Amino acid sequence: MEPQQQQNPHVGHEVLDAAGFHVTDEPIDLSIYGWEDWVSFLLFWVLAFIVFYQVFTRYFLGDPAGWTEEIARYFLVAVVFIGASMSVRKNNHIQVDVFYRFMPPRLARIMSLAVDVIRICFFGYAAWLNWQLLDRIGSQRMAIVELPMGWVFGAMLFGFILMFFRSLQVGWRHWRQGYSVLERPEIALEGIVK
Amino acid sequence: MSPGAMMMSFLAMMAGGVPVAIAMCAASLIYAMATKNIPDFVVIHRMYGGVDSFPLLAVPFFIFAGNLMNSAGITNRIYNFALALVGWMKGGLGHVNVVGSMIFAGMSGTAIADAAGLGTIEIKAMKDHGYPTEFAVGVTAASATVGPIIPPSLPFVIYGMMAGVSIGQLFLAGVIPGIIMGATMMLTVAYYAHTRKYQADAKFSWRALGKTFVEAFLAMMTPVLLVGGMTLGVFTPTEGAIAASAWALLLGLAWYRTLSWRMLVKISMDTIETTAMVLFIVAAASIFGWLLTVTRVTEDIAVWVLAFTQNPAMFLLLANLLLLFVGCFLEPVAAITLLVPILIPICQKLGIDLVHFGLVMVLNLMIGLLHPPMGTVLFVLSRVAKLSVERTTIAILPWLVPLLATLLLCTYVPQVVLWLPRLFF
Repeated sequence: MEPQQQQNPHVGHEVLDAAGFHVTDEPIDLSIYGWEDWVSFLLFWVLAFIVFYQVFTRYFLGDPAGWTEEIARYFLVAVVFIGASMSVRKNNHIQVDVFYRFMPPRLARIMSLAVDVIRICFFGYAAWLNWQLLDRIGSQRMAIVELPMGWVFGAMLFGFILMFFRSLQVGWRHWRQGYSVLERPEIALEGIVK
Repeated sequence: MSPGAMMMSFLAMMAGGVPVAIAMCAASLIYAMATKNIPDFVVIHRMYGGVDSFPLLAVPFFIFAGNLMNSAGITNRIYNFALALVGWMKGGLGHVNVVGSMIFAGMSGTAIADAAGLGTIEIKAMKDHGYPTEFAVGVTAASATVGPIIPPSLPFVIYGMMAGVSIGQLFLAGVIPGIIMGATMMLTVAYYAHTRKYQADAKFSWRALGKTFVEAFLAMMTPVLLVGGMTLGVFTPTEGAIAASAWALLLGLAWYRTLSWRMLVKISMDTIETTAMVLFIVAAASIFGWLLTVTRVTEDIAVWVLAFTQNPAMFLLLANLLLLFVGCFLEPVAAITLLVPILIPICQKLGIDLVHFGLVMVLNLMIGLLHPPMGTVLFVLSRVAKLSVERTTIAILPWLVPLLATLLLCTYVPQVVLWLPRLFF
């Protein structure tokens, strides 16, 4: 399955003999992705094709398809809000953990518990607000395409609900294991180097 | 609840470890709930509005193109070409490191991609050749910062969007400073090679240079395609980004054949993750920044700063110090989205060019990636090189000299930055 990394040995071998070096990609495990990631995956590729189609129609047919710009923006919104659940699940947000180094462990535990609670409350309340938004202006029509805006807000709502449940899961895991990434930043490094 | 209290609650949550994006949204929500000036659900609508923008469509595809180019097949070729090009100089692999990063910077828009991809090869190669690990880590870290300065650049897209500046102009503004950074870093390598008696690592040969050039040629066409297309007005940044992605896919799947389907899935997933992370912060910042503006917090800060100094040079100095400090704690995109609404009004009053300021801002934040506590590049490299964070920090210290020198030059000689974009726009 791995691609061929070996280059033609005759190519530039004077240089390679001297200091040549090759790396190969690490083996790939696709089972680490949650089901919702495959939803984002599909949306991302549809988005890519729409934008590509737009460029294609503009340059080769001379007339960009008007709907593509609008629909592409909505797909981007969907990819962002549904895709954001991936970092909630992996709990690798961008956050400041420097002060945890100087805190006594008990305080750090309380603080990181508070962070989990704030996060869960935020996603839960945001999902509720998003529902209200959908309820009030979801039936408005899009600008060019004759579809209700509710589709876009609905995708966002789906994203917030996912983030809410994933943050509950992560909070529960932190509660059971008794620490979070804030208290032990070294466990986050696993996530940074992909 | 005063707007100042909103700012304070944001800072308190952020310092307490709440993810930056959530701290911005939550502070805005608390403000909306406490004052009843705006209905709560407007917060969500603003977040939607922050992402619903055509220029931001460039973000996922610049990330995608960079990730595709970062697969081993292409980084190896770039490394070999850089080796043939400058490996014959004294301290050869150090120069190779800088040149390789500069070439890769033309394909990728983030510093972290450079450090984790090409940086891994470079550190291993340098260790094998008997260079001290500290030297290898220092030069790799410093040269990774050139990634978002030489176009394409993710931070420039975000800055351009937030500050209302042409992204094409920002990209061009990065070219000369990027080359200066490379030159100052190569001078530093030469200095080390001279004092420590490092030898060359490869013999120069036209044949090897030609062969490796041909091998890497198509990959190296990416920046030419991108920058050329945008400069001549053929592409918008979004179109350039999708063209670069299509090109990278074509190279990986059909030409170099280094890309497997499984790898394509993984790269897509990585792209989605980074895109969502970056743009969720932009969404959060669009509500928070909007509230800061309508409640006149930004204006108050501007009045306060202008009462302190009316001198652009003095302001630039203070802005640099602030940015270097913020860069130590905040990831670049988060810092840009937070600081643009605050600093840009002051720049406008003082007549500082916004393209110039954008470059200064991004350069500062890149230098911030090299420091603890939030130095992502530092953490990645300390892991790649199996060196403790403390020792990595010390290894990087001397490399701040060329970077800060470049920063100083770009801050106080705006022509360096603005000459190229003014030529075309």
